[in-house]
Amino acid sequence: MSSWLDYTINGLIVGNVYALVAVGLALIFGVSRLINFAQGSIYLVGGYIGWVAVVQLHTPLPLTIIFVAVAAALVGLIIERFGLRPLQNSVRIAPLLATIGISFVLDQLVMLTFSPNPRALPSQLPDVRFQVGGGTIGPLDLLIAGVGISSALLLFVFLRYSKLGWAVRAASQDRDAAMQMGVDVNRVNQAVFGIAAALGGVSGLLVGMYYNQIDTAMSLQATLKGVVAEVVGGAGNVPGAVVGSLLLGLVESYGVAVFGTSYRNLFAFLLLVVVLVLRPNGLFASARQAPPEPLTGTFIAPSRPVRIPRWALAVAVAVFAILPLLPVSFYVLQTLINAWLLGLLALSLTLVAGTIGQVSLGHAALLAIGAYTSALLSLTLAVPVGLAIIAGGLMSAALGTLLISPSFRLRGHYVSIATLAIGEIVSLVILNWESVTRGPIGISGIPPLSLLGYDLISPTSVYWFSFGVMVALALLQARLISSHLGRSFRAIRDDDIAARAYGLSLNRYKSLAFIFGGFAAGVSGGIAAHLYSYINHETFNTQQSILALTVVILGGLGNVVGAVVGAVALVGLPEVFRIAAEYRILIYGIVLLLLVRFRPQGLLGTI
Amino acid sequence: MSNINRRTLVKGSLAAAIAGTAFSRATLADNAEPILLGVSGPLTGPNAQYGTQWKQGFDLALDEILASGGINGRKLAYTFEDSQSDPRQSVAIAQKFVSDPRIVLELGDFSSPASMAASPIYQRGGLVQFGFTNSHPDFTKGGDFMWSTSVSQADEQPLLAAYAVKKLGLKKLAVLHLNTDWGRTSRDYFNKAAKEYGAEIVVTEGYIAEERDFRSTLVRVRDANPDGLVLISYYSDGALIARQARQVGLKQVICAASSVYSPKFLELGGDAVEDVHVGTRYFPEDPRPEVQKFIAGFKKKYNGVEPDAFNAYAYDAMNMAAAVVKIGGTDRKAIRDAFTKVKDVPSVIFGTATFDVASRRVKGAMNAELVVRKGQFALWDGKPT
Repeated sequence: MSSWLDYTINGLIVGNVYALVAVGLALIFGVSRLINFAQGSIYLVGGYIGWVAVVQLHTPLPLTIIFVAVAAALVGLIIERFGLRPLQNSVRIAPLLATIGISFVLDQLVMLTFSPNPRALPSQLPDVRFQVGGGTIGPLDLLIAGVGISSALLLFVFLRYSKLGWAVRAASQDRDAAMQMGVDVNRVNQAVFGIAAALGGVSGLLVGMYYNQIDTAMSLQATLKGVVAEVVGGAGNVPGAVVGSLLLGLVESYGVAVFGTSYRNLFAFLLLVVVLVLRPNGLFASARQAPPEPLTGTFIAPSRPVRIPRWALAVAVAVFAILPLLPVSFYVLQTLINAWLLGLLALSLTLVAGTIGQVSLGHAALLAIGAYTSALLSLTLAVPVGLAIIAGGLMSAALGTLLISPSFRLRGHYVSIATLAIGEIVSLVILNWESVTRGPIGISGIPPLSLLGYDLISPTSVYWFSFGVMVALALLQARLISSHLGRSFRAIRDDDIAARAYGLSLNRYKSLAFIFGGFAAGVSGGIAAHLYSYINHETFNTQQSILALTVVILGGLGNVVGAVVGAVALVGLPEVFRIAAEYRILIYGIVLLLLVRFRPQGLLGTI
Repeated sequence: MSNINRRTLVKGSLAAAIAGTAFSRATLADNAEPILLGVSGPLTGPNAQYGTQWKQGFDLALDEILASGGINGRKLAYTFEDSQSDPRQSVAIAQKFVSDPRIVLELGDFSSPASMAASPIYQRGGLVQFGFTNSHPDFTKGGDFMWSTSVSQADEQPLLAAYAVKKLGLKKLAVLHLNTDWGRTSRDYFNKAAKEYGAEIVVTEGYIAEERDFRSTLVRVRDANPDGLVLISYYSDGALIARQARQVGLKQVICAASSVYSPKFLELGGDAVEDVHVGTRYFPEDPRPEVQKFIAGFKKKYNGVEPDAFNAYAYDAMNMAAAVVKIGGTDRKAIRDAFTKVKDVPSVIFGTATFDVASRRVKGAMNAELVVRKGQFALWDGKPT
């Protein structure tokens, strides 16, 4: 029984670690209604600044903390001033994407400066341990808890009793009204970003000391856990973020206790989904709080889409269709095959995110479902590959829609967070469900693509196959969008309350969109499985989901041609920058930032 | 095969001509041009550190090869394409290498999904894919153009099991392993061997690569009451587990697979890794000349930095590639055949390496039994800790 005490203590300790990130996220969300995907990168920067202070400058602990806090706050101010302020009057999705771009840039800068090897960040506290239960806790555990809880308290006092705090709250409730009342909203934003970044930096330092190591890959995981904790607590609610973090830590710890280590993250993301379904605004959302996003459509940039004449599209299709007959290298063809497969995924996402307004951050899960279905059917039941791919599409449509359906009643950012969680859950189920998916060993020896008994092995035939499938589904989708059904979709996107008042059943239409989108994504995953001949749970990861979202925003949300253009551009860009080696992700991040800044409605605009 | 090859060559050079690159220089292949190897591996992304370590190992080997006269008088060089260890990118790189007539052999990729996704392209394109970190049991089954110097876990894990069970006398073991293809395969071989030697596996826990917190896992371990912990980990997570094991009050003997062997393991683990036992494939104080030459050269080239296992794999792989190209020349198929002929290549990991033609892997990894004493790896003196 004493073990349960240990599990509880361990859960609280790691919960405190999460709280350090979640509090900063909550603060920013409270004011800007923005999920700051760069918070994990600031945490990373804080860890490395701390390393410089401790290992090179030999500063004592209090000075180290101040040094890191000030330096990280400066980074936060720069991000706010140059990355986000120019996007103030832009659509909601623009700053979100900008934070993703900023996180690429920051992570890469740290990696280029410090090399990707992990470093030891020695703790500056004495290593005494106190016996509690069967385990021990040390001064650093207490310091982390102290920083987490006292920063939440301080922030609470600041928001409630100081003048700047009032301004922050006013700005978060109604930005325009606050401006009319004379609140300098820019200053408020600056203050918030500075504070949140200082907290983020200090958390990187403390967590680095806690584990005695920092590495350049730690930012994404920190962001993910921070976001989960924050949303569980109630986005924008600072004390809620602390409680959410502790709860997350406990659930993970008890999950390990009962089911074992490999299920740990599964419970974290299940917790998130359950909380979102039962209390869509988090555990601590006040009843009087206005709904987070009154209209799903506020995500979408108002714009006039670029109309591409039909003949031009026909010419483009013809040119790409005869491309393999021209003297182009297999490398170019393979790159374009990747683009067509990403294009299929983007078609799927642009339909659900652009046409019906449900932004999904877990779309790679649909690829994985399609890929595993198709691979397993053709390997174990000897189903012909063509049929197996179709079955993969159908399975993605059915299972994907079923899994995502709990998120249909959510709005705005919460949809994207729920889909992010569902994406992670699918990946973890694949990892753990060994009797079917072969777990971490993955599936190898998947038969190559074939059609009517002929193997499609050469890049040329794979190219035509994937291009043909993509064009066919794109035409179908274009037809769908211009139909009555497509108009109903857009009505739901633009104003779901009005649409419901008009008699549209929201859940049914959302399901229809996911069924169609799931099919395209599943087919893409199926083709990829047969092309690669080996897949495992890592083949389709969160980065694929983020890439897909970037593609559809680049192309223009809801825009069928835009999805394909975006896919070609984003598969092509890293290839073009390939010569830049270590610098290419940095360049990619900067390109993303410039795009969001100067063309937030996407290259071809929203339909 | 030759059909595809010829077509590839024509396509590749035509495309290059269109792109305005002067490929003719390469196709003429005069002796001033280096013989070129392609490397597909991570330079950015979560595995970036391993690509950086590869480069260090490669560059050292290339310096030595050049100093000893190159490959029949020609220089050997490589071009490193960043795949981020992502299968989408590694397949595109594979097409690029296959259609680039200058590339005679390919090295990499790092992870199994990225490597094995590219295998069919290398196999059909008739270019050897030489994976030197690919311990996935199916990697070399991808075709006769897939070769690997990665030590088969079937070879290594029984040695570790013998160390833990027979020499250290541990009878009840807790196994913690990275839940990847490598960790799983290793765990299965380890558990099987340990049971054969008479030990009992009381608990097995798999964790994902991003995991940082192991306290609750270690409570499970404690409750199973083992007399030894076995870590099938990389150095960074291995160091974390050891630290947290000591923090939660576990005092059992810890044994770890060779993959933790790195100066970083000591740095990241601090006092907590004192007395950890490691079965390793190479050890700096190993008097073998191959090892001493590698370490001296590495420290000289990189300002006194100690090499680690991944540096050694890359160094060995480049030397092996050079030995193969020396026999096979610049013809891709002849290079494939040269893998069956190459014999007793000096190697840090194997002493001397010769391929087992049936498995297309090398057998007979060296094993040194180490223990961490006073913050340093030392040969185990036979005393229990």
